[in-house]
Formats: sequence, structure tokens, C-alpha cells
Amino acid sequence: MTTVAGAGPRETGTGRQPATGTIPHERPVPGQPDMWIFVLFEAFVFTSYFTVYVIRRTQNADLFLQSQGQLDLRVGIFNTLVLLVSSWCIARCVQAARDGEFAAALNNIYLTMLFGLVFLVSKVLEWTAKIEHGFSFTSDEFFSFYYFLTAIHFLHLLIGFVFLGVAVHQIRTPARRSQELIETCATYWHTIDFLWVLIFALLYVMR
Amino acid sequence: METVPPVPSGSRLRKIAWHWRYDEKRELWIGWWTLVVFYNLYGLLFFVIARTQPPPEPSLPPSEIAQWFADHHYGLLYGYALVFIVGGATAIMNATLAYTMRRMSVSRAFAYSYLLIYALATLPGMLIMGVVCTVGAMRPDRDPELLSWLYDFAFLSFEGTMGVFLIGSLVWMLAVLLDENRVFPKWFGYLNLCNALTEVVVAPAWIFKRGVFAWDGEIAWWINMAVFVTYTAVFLTLIRNLILREDFGTGPLPDLESDRAIDAITLGTAR
Repeated sequence: MTTVAGAGPRETGTGRQPATGTIPHERPVPGQPDMWIFVLFEAFVFTSYFTVYVIRRTQNADLFLQSQGQLDLRVGIFNTLVLLVSSWCIARCVQAARDGEFAAALNNIYLTMLFGLVFLVSKVLEWTAKIEHGFSFTSDEFFSFYYFLTAIHFLHLLIGFVFLGVAVHQIRTPARRSQELIETCATYWHTIDFLWVLIFALLYVMR
Repeated sequence: METVPPVPSGSRLRKIAWHWRYDEKRELWIGWWTLVVFYNLYGLLFFVIARTQPPPEPSLPPSEIAQWFADHHYGLLYGYALVFIVGGATAIMNATLAYTMRRMSVSRAFAYSYLLIYALATLPGMLIMGVVCTVGAMRPDRDPELLSWLYDFAFLSFEGTMGVFLIGSLVWMLAVLLDENRVFPKWFGYLNLCNALTEVVVAPAWIFKRGVFAWDGEIAWWINMAVFVTYTAVFLTLIRNLILREDFGTGPLPDLESDRAIDAITLGTAR
């Protein structure tokens, strides 16, 4: 990986200074390659969970189908759209930081947080409604998987707020503004979005 | 001042003797080899001799639990007798792991908290299970209901308490990510996060007696074990590299010669 050795903020035609760090087109991946190792490892772990889910589903197809019918597909779609929009916002934040538009980058990261928060609240409301209707973690195997997969994803999302906080700190502090770190945080956020899409497909859509 | 002779060529024994006498990293290598030997022994004693791993089913009725203790009688007694003999090695292991944090640019509080957590974690992570299993195995003619109680106590204390390692992994993760001495690559910090998250996944073992979330389940045990084995293999390798790179200074650790060569090839520059 090539870095801009000792590079401070570079002047641009508009007078704005993009974040420091490596030059995007000279890097194999956006952000720290270390984060991509995390992404691959998490993908491996979640693939294992999904495989176990699919196997158990095949063995108890009727039960899973019946319990799956208790989930509201509209809520799942809403959650998915909310997270996709949050991912779009963090992508815009990265682009803005690359262009030295830090006010726009900050606005986009706050929007990312807002949509992340909407997802969390929506998920809690969905869980509450399900429990009120008598579908708890121990009701049946489908709901065990439902609560497990959504809860472990929820936990990842909470950790995502720490990464967003790091990105905010980077953007708000002119002396820092490491483009690589901002992109690393964005990579984490995209990962939890990607994992949700798979969870949504497995729990809500797959019949 | 004693003159240090060159490393002898030929016999491996003579090389070991040289390292024992002159190698300034002797203590670190003792710590590392303790880690390697302990984890191998741990696997051998728990998986092969005591046969408590992979764990048996939590849903067994008392009569089958009594049979399980009868079937594992000698394995439990001899296996855990050996575990108790080598158990003290965890002190050297934990000290070696804490040393990695002492070598970082971060506060010493990281190393101290890690040491404390893992010193306490030895109880649920090893000793309680050993004591309870040997108590059960010692008198297999006990009332099956009582043996059933011991069985639950042993396996829940071991499988169900993985959460105590959660904070330890997070402490190591934070130390690696904040460190400026390049003791470990940053991806190892993130790998600690993966490991920490799998510790959370064990929690449902307290609720389920059968299925994928029970203490012998595919998710609560098998996948977690795969992650833990990978994590252990990774940190053993990284600590070995750390010792090879150690210059006993306080600043950034130098690269290994092999890494420098790779960098030179990658960047097209010879340094």
C-alpha cells in the first residue's frame, strides 16, 4: 500500500483541503485493509449461522413457514430501506470528505446516525409487538433464530455507532481528518447493512 | 562483561543450550512456549482424555448422566488431575499476553485489567469444571439426581460463562487499535472484536437444553470453537513475531527482515 508520505492537507482548486492519508486510486481497497479482514471473517461467521439456519429450516420446513407468516414483510422492507439509505448517506460522507467538503460530510454522517437510530427503534418496536403476541425467543425454533440473528445484528449496529463516532471525531478535528479512517468506519457500516440484507432475505422473504 | 559466543552450528541441543544461556529474549520464549504447550495440552486433556469437549448433550436424563460419569470415570479423574498440575501455567501465559500490551504505546491499565480478568476467568474457564467433574467421577454410585446437578453445574460453569472473556477481548482490541508501536497489525484488533462477539453468542446456552443454541449446539459451541481456534492460532503466531521483532526499546517495533523484503518487492524499492 502506498501512502502519501508526510502529506498534509493538499490544496485544491476550490481552496478546500481533502482529508489526509492514502490516495484512493492507489489503494487496493477503501479504508484500512485490516478492516476488510474483519469483514471477511465476519462474513465467514455469519455464513456459518445462515448455513445452520437453512439446514434447520429444511428439516422443519412446515414449522418455519408457519412461524415466518407471523412476521410483517412490510416492517422488514422498511428496515431494509432505512439501512440502505443510511449506507447511501455514509457513502456520500466519504465522497464529501474526499472533496474536502467537511460540513457536508458531517451532515451526511449525522443522517447516517439518524437512519441507524430509526432502524434500532423500529427493531425494538417489532420485537415488543412480537413478544406481546406471544412469540418469544423460546416459542419455537424459527423465532429462536429470528431473535438471535436480529439481536446479533442489532449488537453489530450498536458497535457501528462507535465507528460513526470515530468518523465524526476525525471530521470535526481539522488536525486529524484521516481519509483512511473515515473510509474504514464507512466500510464497517456498509458491512452491517450488507449483513442485514441477507438476514432480511432469510427471515422475511425466503419461502 | 562476558563475551557472547556465536550461535553454535550443528546439534539442536547445543543451540538450545546457547539460547538458554545467552539469548536476551529467553524469558519471552519461555512464555511463548508455555502458551503453545499449554494450549496443546488443554486440547489433549479436554478433548481426548477427559472427553468433556465437545460437550455432551444438556438434555440427558439423570440415569444417562450417571452412565456418562461411569463411562468417563478414569478419563475425568486422570485428565483433570493433569489439568490441575498444569493449570498454574496460566499465570505465565497471562503474563506473556499482558507483556504484549506493556510493549504498546497505550496505558499500562490495559495490561493490568487484562491480567485481572484472565486470572479470574481461569476459575470458570477451567478449574470449576475440573473440580465438579472429578467430584462426580469420584463416586459414580451417587444418586443420579445429584450427579445430574453436578453435570449441569460443570458444563454451565464452563460453556455458559464465556462472557467473562468478552471484556478481555475488548481490552486487547482497544489496546491494539490505539497502539502506535505497531506491536500487532490492526486487523488483529478487529479479530478481537469478532472473538468478543462470539462470546455473546454463548449466552442462550443458559436457556436451551437442546438445539443449536444449547451448550453443545452448532451455534453456541461448534462455530464459536472454530472462531476461538483460529483466534488462538493467530495470536500465537503474532506473539512469536513480536518476540522476533522485540528490541526492548519503547518506540515502534522494527519489522522482520522477511517483511522488509516483501515490502521492497511490493513497493519496488530496496531499503
